[in-house]
Amino acid sequence: MATNDKKARARRGVRRTGAAALLTAAALLLTACGGNAGGGAQPAANSGEPVQGGTLVFAEVTPINNFQTQSARFYEKANVLNSVLDRLTYFDAVSGKLVPWIATKFSGNEDNTEFTFDIRPDVTFSDGTPLDAEAVKANLDVLGKGLEKAQIQPNVDFSAYESTEVVDEDTVKVQLKSADANFLRATSSVAAGLVSPKTLELDNAGQSDIAKISGSGPFVFESEKPDEELVLAKRADYAWAPETAENQGAAYLDKVVVKYLPEVAHRAGAVQSGQVDLVRGLQPADEAAVAAGGNQVLPAPGIDLTANVAAVRIGSGKLADQKVRQALQAGIDRQALKDTVLSDSYEIAGSVLNHKAPGFVDLSADLAYDPEKAKSLLDEAGWVAGADGVREKDGKKLEVTVTSSNNSVVIKPAFELIEQQWREIGVKLINRAADNTFLATALQDPEVEFFGTRQFAYGGLGPVFGPETNTQTLNADEELNELFAAERAAADEAKHEELVAEEQRALVVEKALALVLWDEVQVYGAHSGTNIEFTSGTAPIFQGAWKAEG
Amino acid sequence: MGRYVAQRIGQALLVIWLAYTVIFLAVQLLPSDPVTIFLSTDSAVDQATIDNMKRQYGYDQPLLVQYFAQLGGLLTGDVGYSLASGEPVALRIGGVIGSTMALALSAFATAVVLALAVVVAATLTRSAVLRKVVLNLPPLFAAVPVIWLGLVLLELLSIRWGVMSLFPDGSFLSLAVPVFVLGVHVSAPIAQVLLKSIDTVYSQPFIDVLRAKGASASWIFFRHALKNAGGPAMTITGITVGTLLAGSVITETVFARSGLGAVVLQAVTTQDVPLVQGLVLLTASVFVAVNLVVDLLYPLLDPRILKSNGQGSPRVLAV
Repeated sequence: MATNDKKARARRGVRRTGAAALLTAAALLLTACGGNAGGGAQPAANSGEPVQGGTLVFAEVTPINNFQTQSARFYEKANVLNSVLDRLTYFDAVSGKLVPWIATKFSGNEDNTEFTFDIRPDVTFSDGTPLDAEAVKANLDVLGKGLEKAQIQPNVDFSAYESTEVVDEDTVKVQLKSADANFLRATSSVAAGLVSPKTLELDNAGQSDIAKISGSGPFVFESEKPDEELVLAKRADYAWAPETAENQGAAYLDKVVVKYLPEVAHRAGAVQSGQVDLVRGLQPADEAAVAAGGNQVLPAPGIDLTANVAAVRIGSGKLADQKVRQALQAGIDRQALKDTVLSDSYEIAGSVLNHKAPGFVDLSADLAYDPEKAKSLLDEAGWVAGADGVREKDGKKLEVTVTSSNNSVVIKPAFELIEQQWREIGVKLINRAADNTFLATALQDPEVEFFGTRQFAYGGLGPVFGPETNTQTLNADEELNELFAAERAAADEAKHEELVAEEQRALVVEKALALVLWDEVQVYGAHSGTNIEFTSGTAPIFQGAWKAEG
Repeated sequence: MGRYVAQRIGQALLVIWLAYTVIFLAVQLLPSDPVTIFLSTDSAVDQATIDNMKRQYGYDQPLLVQYFAQLGGLLTGDVGYSLASGEPVALRIGGVIGSTMALALSAFATAVVLALAVVVAATLTRSAVLRKVVLNLPPLFAAVPVIWLGLVLLELLSIRWGVMSLFPDGSFLSLAVPVFVLGVHVSAPIAQVLLKSIDTVYSQPFIDVLRAKGASASWIFFRHALKNAGGPAMTITGITVGTLLAGSVITETVFARSGLGAVVLQAVTTQDVPLVQGLVLLTASVFVAVNLVVDLLYPLLDPRILKSNGQGSPRVLAV
């Protein structure tokens, strides 16, 4: 009982902070005409004028040694590169719109096959090279086609890319092979960060080395101790922040020190003891303690990512009938998931896209927990309860397996709870979540029924669920792919949104190929004096960050 | 002597070659090739991309060609490229091995000192109570997991009392604490085996003879018992190398130190198979090398080994 009381009290603590945050957000919205810099827009708990100078210590989850821009998309990489590399456009989460950054103007033709970018003059990379139309073309070519001599792969979101024409010193025109309504949004991704043309001349190891990468961002590399520490220093002449950023000039902070804290048990203590100013990957169980200690729990919603899903593979045949998949979708009690495993920092998924993502359609009515409906759907599909309570059909038991990486601190306990919930409808779940060794083989195995994950999705869901080799379903669904193609080709914005909504309905309700769980969120812990906001991809915005004095 | 040495070195090389072969075969048993696995952890990739990268790293060659090419590379110190960073695997491992060596060697020295202290205290004390307490230390050391001790010490020293940093900052405590944590764990098997063999030595008639001649307890212990009991302890010391390496990985993770631990963690999470291959091979080689050294030192402690020409197992007799 005592622990319950304590927990409840601590929970209230979190709610209070949440309420304060909401109030601050409302105030910001009312007063700031230009909007604020925040993608995730977690408003700072401290008010007052930004303080110049100081060093912010940020504890990242795990060290990374490949900083090549567009290869793999890991948070630990994006969280650093976000402050080192600028992009053509910026996704402003407050307005839900793309706003100018390095491109002062951008537009597409009617059928989304040609895009023009006006490049901001006077921007330079940290090695002194100008960021002009030629430099943008060099970057777009690598994003679209890869760079064979440096073994750099094309960016998946640029699959329609054909070529770039330099119109004049600060204008480029991009040609696509086929229409892509999501192209502009993809240019806002950290994975589409612009590097100096000199960086692009390096070999693979060179372009992966943060010490050798030159960007035009607000911070530059200063020093590193491999696997222990990375120091970024502010660029004093930075003057080209995204249009909506509150701070239009150089960063307030002098330095950012990135350290690594692989041990999850220490993350809360690191903030509490003031050894770090910001830490990523707080466990739900630690949130209350951090808030109760007067420090901040900052959930950064992953607007650029899909919700956390159990993507369905139909290779074993057990889930080939969509009624079975719909039954499993209805057999998940998401509220119980939030109450038991997650925290107030997490939001139950309403679709496969994030609640704040452009084109999100609210399917929560279709996602209500309904074990009776689940049971009757399974009955209809011919799966009848066996002696041990597990349903059977044609001598096969309805035993299904889930795989996932151990990147998320909550994914394993979440599937443990789902395992209990599905037992009630006669389905046995074998939980191999967070088992990276199993994942190595299971990832490519269509007979492993579920892959628990989330992916970056800039607009439509085609790049994530479309290709035959997509790791979600390991299967190209023809009807879905027709829908994806139509959506990419959609000429006007209203039509495009309608088709994105259609995709979500197909994936979640009709075909039930994505069992959605909760919106992606990265929960940060911040010391009481830290003022920081996050991008729509959950990366901390160090350019606008500051530390209260004292 | 020469024949014994040659035989031992030959065996060591054979073990390393077998280890390489087993690792190579294990990689072939994966459902897909290293490149596909690596690229697929991220998102959908097209076949042309995979093929390109496979060609780049030689994974499109026939198996036998790959086997001998990699074996040839191994002889010249080239163990391939890390898929995650494009860096040569040897360079990636070489860059951090110093830090792990410093930790592991200091921890090993600590372990030997701790084990000796336990054994000396247990053997020479006249207090039955103290002896009982000391005798229970090795099982306790063995039972306490490295990760638990590390977490508790950090929680107390760093978070509660603020006397040390959570991160390696070059201070005395930031090396001493992880060394102690790892040393305690490694000392347990050494102390246990040493205690057991000291007991065996004490039950032998020549000890009674020494006592009858009026030798003091410490003279008997240091001049006679310890030397005779040293063999099995040395063997177990060779075997603890595995514990030491595995313990280093855990210790480094808990104390956020750079080293093989972080590399292992990264290699496994990003599914960087060539890097994992290199690490496994390194571990096997270190294990073999240390045990080779133990084997070579053994005749110095117990000349009977050479007479029996390595046949049978005279080491066991001494226990």
